[in-house]
Amino acid sequence: MSRDGYTGFSRGEARTRTAKSLNFETMGPLRRLAKLPWGFILLIIAMALTGVAMLYSSAYTNPNEHNLWYLQLTRFGISFVMMLVLAMLPLSWWRTLALPAYAFTILLLVLVLVMGFSGGGAQRWLQIGPIGVQPSEFAKLATTMALAWYYDRVITPTSGRILIHIGALCIMLIPAALIFKQPDFGTTLALIASGGVVIFLAGLSMRVILVGMLAGIASVPGIYFVLADYQRERVDTFLAQMSGHATNALGESYQIEQGLIAIGGGGVNGKGWLQGIQSQQDYVPEQHTDFILTVIGEEFGFIGTTALLLGFAVILGWSFYSASQSHSWFGRLASAGAAATVAFYIVFNVGMVIGLLPVVGMPLPLISYGGTAMLTTMACFGLILSAHMHRDEKLSSTGII
Amino acid sequence: MSRNRSIEDDFTRRMIIAAGAGGVVWAGLVARLFQLQVLEREKYQAAAEDNHIKLALAPPQRGRILDRFGKPLASHRRAGRVSIVPEQTRDPAGTLAQVAALIDLSDERIERLAGEITAGRRRNAGFVPIIVANELTYEDFARMNVHAAEIPGVQVEMALTRSYPRGRDFAHVLGYVARASQDDLERLSVGMEADEAKRLEKLFRHPDMRTGRQGMERFAEEYLRGKPGFRKLVTNAHGRVIEEIPDERFAPVPGKDLYITIDSDLQRAVIERFGEESGAAVMIQVDTGDVLAMVSTPAFDPNDFVNGISGTAYAELRDNPQSPLYPRAHGGVYPPGSTFKMVVATAALESGAVKPTDRVNCNGYYRFGNRTWHCWKKGGHGSMDMHNGIKHSCDVYFYDIARRTGVEAIAAAARKFGFGEAWTLGMTGARGGLVPDPEWKQRAMGEPWYEGETLNFGIGQGQLGVTPLQLSLMTARIAAEGRSLKPHLVGLGPQSGDDGVLDQPLDKDIIDIMRSGMYGVTSEGGGTAYRSGDLGLGGPRMAGKSGTAQVRRISKAERDKGIRKGLNIERELRDHALFVAYAPADNPKYACAVVVEHGESGSGAAAPMARDILRFAIENDSGRKPAYGQTASVTPAGQGEPT
Repeated sequence: MSRDGYTGFSRGEARTRTAKSLNFETMGPLRRLAKLPWGFILLIIAMALTGVAMLYSSAYTNPNEHNLWYLQLTRFGISFVMMLVLAMLPLSWWRTLALPAYAFTILLLVLVLVMGFSGGGAQRWLQIGPIGVQPSEFAKLATTMALAWYYDRVITPTSGRILIHIGALCIMLIPAALIFKQPDFGTTLALIASGGVVIFLAGLSMRVILVGMLAGIASVPGIYFVLADYQRERVDTFLAQMSGHATNALGESYQIEQGLIAIGGGGVNGKGWLQGIQSQQDYVPEQHTDFILTVIGEEFGFIGTTALLLGFAVILGWSFYSASQSHSWFGRLASAGAAATVAFYIVFNVGMVIGLLPVVGMPLPLISYGGTAMLTTMACFGLILSAHMHRDEKLSSTGII
Repeated sequence: MSRNRSIEDDFTRRMIIAAGAGGVVWAGLVARLFQLQVLEREKYQAAAEDNHIKLALAPPQRGRILDRFGKPLASHRRAGRVSIVPEQTRDPAGTLAQVAALIDLSDERIERLAGEITAGRRRNAGFVPIIVANELTYEDFARMNVHAAEIPGVQVEMALTRSYPRGRDFAHVLGYVARASQDDLERLSVGMEADEAKRLEKLFRHPDMRTGRQGMERFAEEYLRGKPGFRKLVTNAHGRVIEEIPDERFAPVPGKDLYITIDSDLQRAVIERFGEESGAAVMIQVDTGDVLAMVSTPAFDPNDFVNGISGTAYAELRDNPQSPLYPRAHGGVYPPGSTFKMVVATAALESGAVKPTDRVNCNGYYRFGNRTWHCWKKGGHGSMDMHNGIKHSCDVYFYDIARRTGVEAIAAAARKFGFGEAWTLGMTGARGGLVPDPEWKQRAMGEPWYEGETLNFGIGQGQLGVTPLQLSLMTARIAAEGRSLKPHLVGLGPQSGDDGVLDQPLDKDIIDIMRSGMYGVTSEGGGTAYRSGDLGLGGPRMAGKSGTAQVRRISKAERDKGIRKGLNIERELRDHALFVAYAPADNPKYACAVVVEHGESGSGAAAPMARDILRFAIENDSGRKPAYGQTASVTPAGQGEPT
């Protein structure tokens, strides 16, 4: 990151700038835009453009898909503007919106179960006018915001008791249960994971966390039996693959195998843009969505995949750092939770593609083709940016609860 | 305040722990990528190669068959073709429907193809393309080419198809190629190891592969076939070929070109001379034994057989009363009639029983035992010596000398001239005919030989059966003054190991008497074919001998009524007309035999034809130095190949 005036300050230094920051609300919109951390934003743009280039590569030989890159670029443009607008929102607005957004998401999740339509083996989609949306994607951000809102209300200098975390757990588990019912195991896990990060940061006793984790691990075999058939197959495939058994050549293990061949075949330097044989000849199913990493791996090699992960690491690292700079509990937790949401997208996606995790339908943020995920990701960045811009706001935290 | 402080510190600590955990996870992902892309990259690169490069069997291009002067008689033609690879199509019926929307396919054909596709999948041969349509028109080919990419499993390609540019002219000599049937495969893999036979079977499943089913194509199969190679194809996930990687090491070895000794222009001229007549003609170059023309007419078009002939078209050929499928020149057996008289005369002189000057009086009939044998000339020829006997073709003279010579001597002489032996020369369907003798008769019929049969033998009738090819060999041996003769049809390529050499000694002085008799036939007053002797070239003349092969016996009643022969009886009952000749008479270069079926009169129908084709050969110098030089190989088929 370049020295743009917003990085590298200690908290003490930042505090001395409080007076200036208080004038923020009175600045003109252009001056406010200029104050944004543009290094961070340029990195996001660079990542998204990389994604567009990879989409072009993965689909240009296919007459039905050759304009996907253009669609994705348009989506990114719209989401980008939305992110800037969200970045300008005062943090107090976010906090005010948190509960309604959460309630609305819960409503949508219920609607999905009642009247949603299926895609990829599960009922995840909701038709709103001409577009189909996946409420479970929005749920990640909404839950994070709701948790931040909750802790912002309940954490007092005297708090610290375990009991306050029970409320947070409820906030997290309600959407998690609804999503699990769809069924969408991957998103459920991601939601619990990013929610868990927020709860962890809010100070849940380490002992309780340890016990919870052990209980979680112990319940894994039990979860296996409540999974839908297709999910169980995925786990079976994963386990078979991990133990080195050959499995069905045309099912999911085919997808994983072809993905690994593409990535491994890329070697250190890759075959060059548009030169990937696996990628260009349709060997990897879903390579423009969840398996886009295989295209990067084949065409840009280890250097390309490492650079990608490094780019994400910088984005997330800065987001975390920015979260720690916030003076409000809402700002800290919402910002860190949003960063964790994006982080778990990446971990689940990459882990699945390179064969470390079972196949969970999870896109790679900024890179994969897909509208809802793009919106959610950019909204997360919008929240992180807003928290950054308003890091000195000390929201009045009068305990309601 | 201190409590607050500790919460703040705790938050910072937890942020660091969370970031650290994230860093560990990130490191794990990078480590896995390092494993895949750096440590194990060769394994995955090899897997990627395996994935998209397929080795497809590349059939060799079959060698051509060329005439004496290098003109192609069997070559290749590019033709558009549509095929379906069963394993690449999910829904055969749907695929076929899509194809049928683009090109014309009958419902019956679609149904059959659907069955073939299913069968191909079931017997694990889903990779072998099934041909939907051959010989596409340019428009169909262009249309299919545009749309094939959208229909999985459909291939459109230009393929080389065996083609016979001379059509019917060489049907019986070259035969034809066809898709290898189970019978063909069994025949071709005789004596092979199991895996070798399996490879052969796989090769012949390729839609471009054909095997010689008949004629020279069958005889020279291995020489013409070449060796298969492989094509390195880059395919996508659906098996569609994206590109081909050229690789010389895998290129198929094309089959060798085979030269035959025939002059295709002479062949054409002979066929044209026959016109609507059916029959056969063979011409041989006297000093080399090269077969210059080998005609059996009418014939079929071998091009019809290359992609499989339809049942109705085949039935039409089979049931045609003129039998176009019948290889008359080397497989048609006829009584030689009077053309056989030189053999009888040679036998008579060789046996010493008869001297050339011995005279026999002919008054139109010959009595032997209690039966009477007639001469063709009702009033008789009067006193005949050997020269005149041949010149006038006097039957009574030959009854007499045949009886004096005896059947064994005549049969032995016949064999010296090549009768009784099947001369394949690399063709299929050759027959040997029959040279009868007492031993044969006892064996075949369980009866002794009657001397009366020797009389019939003497005028080339009775059980005796010869082919036009044998007659031409006889004539060539006479024209060559008895020198040995090795007949060839293959100029450059494998020689048939079955055929012998006509090298049993013949006395030049005796043969000269035959030649003078044959010269008399065409060139002396009273000769049976006097009008045909002049070739119209202002010098060279033809020497020859006419013959008539009886199609039915003439009854005594008919003879008494004076109906002996003529053009006033039904065509199928008329006699076959034969003529054997060589030219130029004084220095023979070409010898030929002509059979005109139901031509009635050897001198009337066959002699002018012989004259015209000999004139054509002389005028066009058909026997001049061939394109392949004089280094014709004599290696039998299948035992090594000439370079």
